[in-house]
This record gives sequence, structure tokens and C-alpha cells, in this order.
Amino acid sequence: MVKVGKPNKIKKIFAVRGMGQVITVTIGLIILCIVFSIVNPIFYSGKNIANLLRQIAPILIIGIGQSYVLITGNIDLSIGSVVGMSCMISATMMTKGVNPWAAVLITFICCLAVGILNGELVSKCKLPPFIATLGTMTIARGVAQIVNNNYNTGSIGESAQGFRNFFYYGKTVGLYNAIWITIVMWVVFNFLLSKTRTGRHIYAIGSNVDAARLSGVNVHSTTIKAYLVSAVCACTVGLMTCATTGMGTMDAGNSYEMYAVAASVIGGVSTLGGQGLLLGTVVGASIWGVLQNGLQFAGAPVAIRNITIGIIVVVSVLLDVVVRTGKHRKKKTS
Amino acid sequence: MKKRVLSIIICLCMFFVAACSKDTATGGSSTKGKDNKYKVYLITMDQMDQHWVNVDAGCKKAVKELGNIDYEWLAPDVKDDAKQIECINNAVAGGANAILLAANGPDAVTSALKEAQSAGVKIIYVDSAADYPAIQTLATDNEAAGKTAGEEMMKGLTAAGIKEGKIGIVNVNAATASCVAREKGFRSAFEGTSFELLGTQYGEGDAAKSKDIAANYITSSCVGLFGANEGSTVGIGIAIEEAGEKIIGVGFDKSDTILELIKGGHLLCTMAQNPDVMGYEGMKTAAKALAGEKIGETNIDTGVSVITKD
Repeated sequence: MVKVGKPNKIKKIFAVRGMGQVITVTIGLIILCIVFSIVNPIFYSGKNIANLLRQIAPILIIGIGQSYVLITGNIDLSIGSVVGMSCMISATMMTKGVNPWAAVLITFICCLAVGILNGELVSKCKLPPFIATLGTMTIARGVAQIVNNNYNTGSIGESAQGFRNFFYYGKTVGLYNAIWITIVMWVVFNFLLSKTRTGRHIYAIGSNVDAARLSGVNVHSTTIKAYLVSAVCACTVGLMTCATTGMGTMDAGNSYEMYAVAASVIGGVSTLGGQGLLLGTVVGASIWGVLQNGLQFAGAPVAIRNITIGIIVVVSVLLDVVVRTGKHRKKKTS
Repeated sequence: MKKRVLSIIICLCMFFVAACSKDTATGGSSTKGKDNKYKVYLITMDQMDQHWVNVDAGCKKAVKELGNIDYEWLAPDVKDDAKQIECINNAVAGGANAILLAANGPDAVTSALKEAQSAGVKIIYVDSAADYPAIQTLATDNEAAGKTAGEEMMKGLTAAGIKEGKIGIVNVNAATASCVAREKGFRSAFEGTSFELLGTQYGEGDAAKSKDIAANYITSSCVGLFGANEGSTVGIGIAIEEAGEKIIGVGFDKSDTILELIKGGHLLCTMAQNPDVMGYEGMKTAAKALAGEKIGETNIDTGVSVITKD
């Protein structure tokens, strides 16, 4: 969290749109952590914290991508399939003996193509984002299946050990690389979103496309940029999955796009566009990961986790609505 | 204008598809198809696991020997009941005389099978049966195999001098009968011992998810981990490899990745089924049944081989 010196700074922080919900869910996250720690002390052992952070990493990365797209007022359903595509393309090339880093480069190019296609379909061809990305989601999953002839790949082999360490297993300064990658991506994309013109344009087209266009924002290129960020994030997670398992699985990343929406929405990103903070996405993804990990230590069945996540998505957004309507002193909605 | 043209094209396409499906839906009698060959389909849960590829290889081998079979392998892209039912319907529509089926779950496909049977299709189960009578089931006796896995783990634990502790189980989901039976057998091997078997966690057969689950088990200081299928086994193997601790991992199925993990000493052993035997013998049974011969045995255990480092 941000250290606060002066009272007017506090006001400033609260004035940021969407900060209210970030604070609410952060409190929720802390409560969750305390409860799980009481139920099973192993939960807050150092070993588990490292393990937990690494489980949060992929959800947070795709959450960043989805947040970008949601803030522009669109949605990206192709994320999960791009994860699978990236995992399969990279693994297939490595099993065929391609240098891992060359494989990573080619994988990125393929995934960026999907991002550009998404952006073009949505902003140039005026397709509803839900439909356009539903199409690319299916196409990308098909690509994931076709690259290795409809089979999962074998092991990517010893030569790819460097790649596996870089993306997942290795540690730098005591933290897993997967966590470092996540931190770096978050810092870069948070800077882009909150401190640059492109970031402001992304918020602008999400708030009001026509107003943005009239004030000279290039809606087309901004939309493409948002989808590109999403593709980069999904591609990274795919490479991570490949590094984790040491093989390519065709259904890697299955339904990740919805996990990403959940992480974003819990963190206060509005699906209507124009509102949300990447800080919230961190909290959203953390809640997801903490539930997954904590409930296992508490010995709860998997179904409970899904139910809880669903409830948290609804409640966190509901809280925000209640708080905001209260602020505007409107009548209570029943 | 563009829109109008597009909608006309789409309509035409739909008509065309509808017409095509009408033509094929009337097939499925039990007479021999083209060039006097029986049409036999293999339908598996998905196309991804090497396991199914081996069943297919066994089928192909038998087809070569028999010479009067027109054979095709159908499978959904992912494990999904609805998609498997579609495959069964497609096979019937495609004029199948017999279907070799690896059922996704015990109940989901029964009504589709009923339809297939009333269309004169002979049904044989390979790998996992559904709750519907068939000519023969060729499968691993999963409970016995699971028990073998448990006994192997006991041996490994005893050899490592471990007398008590927690054991984690990573399974696919609660619906796959074969994996549920394996788990049951595995648990039965530990009855009356001082080991504590933790509640099962489900990783959907996804190696990455299973790895996360296994890592959580390892942090709660488990001494042994059991994976109930290929994906789960890869997951526990890489989690153990990474933890670098002496945890006894026992799994199921055989793939390159699993064999590497066993070679590296991260997994103690894996229960390899004999999918090629399932496919081969299943096809032979199908040919016999189609020729009108009697099938004696209705349940055939194709057994498992325990694969260790040596």
C-alpha cells in the first residue's frame, strides 16, 4: 500500500475513482488471510507464502490484460485460448529442437497477431467485442490443437531447463522468477495505464467513445493497444504454464478468461468501461489465489471454492454499488 | 446490401448443412458397409492423452490382421459428456456396426448408447464402462490397480523408514469412475496403518493445476503423494522435483514426461495400463460379435504393469 504523509494526500487517494472498492476488498482479503491462518497455521508459513504468490502470478497477469480491455469498455474472451496456444506453440517448437528463446519470440509474434485481430474486429469492423473475441477464442484453441497434430507434446527436454527456470522455477533474490515477472509486468503496465497519454486514452474511450473521438483520441489504435496488452499477458502465462509442466497441453488455460474477469471485477474494474485500477486487480487475483490455496489447507472440497468465488464476485461489486449510491444520497435500490 | 448478401449466404449454408445431416441420419443398420467391410468406431474421452493414442494403435494392429474392418477413431477435443454423446451419434449416423467406447462417466452417455443399440450397433467398452449393458468390457480393474499403487507406496515409505504421516491425493474430478475406483483401491491399501490420508483435491487432469495442488500438499508436510491419472501424476512429479524433498510419489499412466520423472527419481513408480491390449482385444471382440460368434467373458482385466526406475 502507499505510505501516506499528509491528510490532503489521503483525500487525494480516496478521490481516485475506484479506490473505494480496492480498499473494501483489501480489507476482505486481510480477513480471509486471518481466517485461513487460524484454521491452519501452515497457511502463513514462509514456504507457503512463496508457493501462494506463485499460484497467484498467472491469474494476476491475465487479470492485468483483461483489466486493460475492460477499462476500454470491451471484453477479451480469447485470453484462455491464447494461453493454450502460447503453451502449445512454444512446447511443440522446443520438442522439435528449436532454441527455446527463438521459440519464445515466435510464440509472442503469433499471440500478438491474435491481439491485433481482436482489436481490428472490434474497432474497425465494429463487431461486438463479446462476439469477436468469442470467435478468436475458438480459433486460437483450434490453433493450440493443430500445432502438434491434436496431441499433447512430450517433454520439452533438458535443453529447455534454462527456459523453465527463467519463467517459473528459478529464484532471483529469494523470490521465484514467476513472481518477478508478474511484478515487472504489473509495474510497467500500471505505469502505462496511470501515467501516460495512452493510459488516459484507454480510460477516455471506456468512459465515452464518442466524446473521446471528438476530442481527438485515436479510438482504433487505442483499442488495438489494449488488446495487444491482453495478448502479451496471455502469451506470458502460456509460456509460464509450459515452463511449469515441461510439456504442452492443449487445454492449458481453459476458462482462464473468466478467472481474469473475476480478478478484475473483484478488484473494482467496471465491465462498463472507464473505471478501474490495476491495484485492484492485484487484490482480486490475490483473493482468488488465497481462496484456492487456503481452502485446500482447510480441507474444504473444491466445490466450496467455486461457490465462494462466485459469492465474492457478486458481493464485492454489490458493495461498490451500495457505497456509490449512498454517496450520491439516492434512494436505496431494493 | 452487404448484410443482405451475407445473410443469404448464411441461410444457404444452413440449408446445406441441414440437408447433409438428414441424409446421414438414416444410416446405422447392421449390414456391411462399403466394399463389404464392417464399420467400427473407437470413441475415447479426448484425443490428447497418449493413453488413447495407444488404444488407437492397438485397434489399428487388430484391423490390419482382420482385414474386414473399416475403422475410424472419433473423440471430442476435450473431456466433455455432451461432446462425447455427439461423437456416439455421429458414429451411428456414419453407419457404425460396432463402437468401442471409453465412457466419460457412468451415466451421461447411457441414453445415447440405448439409441445406438436400437439402431443395431454393437457396443464394447474399452478402458472405462458406462452403466449400460455391453458385449464386453476390456479395462484395467482400477480398484485392484489402485490398491497395487497403495502397496507400492507402502513399500517405498517403509524402505525410507517412514512409519507415519500425511498422504495427499490428486485426482481428476469426482465424475470419472475409473479414477474414483483407483482412489478407492489406493485408500484401501492404507486401512489400519498409521498414515493419514487427506481429503482428495481435484485438478481436472490439468498438469499445472495438479502441480499447484501438490505443492500445497508438500507445504503441509505430506510424506506421500498419489496421482490418479496422467495429468495428476505429472503435476505431483514436478512438484516433488521442485521441492527436492524425499516425498514418495506414486502415479498412474505412462507418458514421456512421467518416465523422465521416474528416471530422475522424483516419482517412485507409475501404474502403466495396457491400452494397446484394450484396443487390440476390443477390436477382435468386435469382429467376433459382428460375425455372430459367442463372446464368453464379459469382463476382461487388462492389468497394470508397475514401472519403476529399473
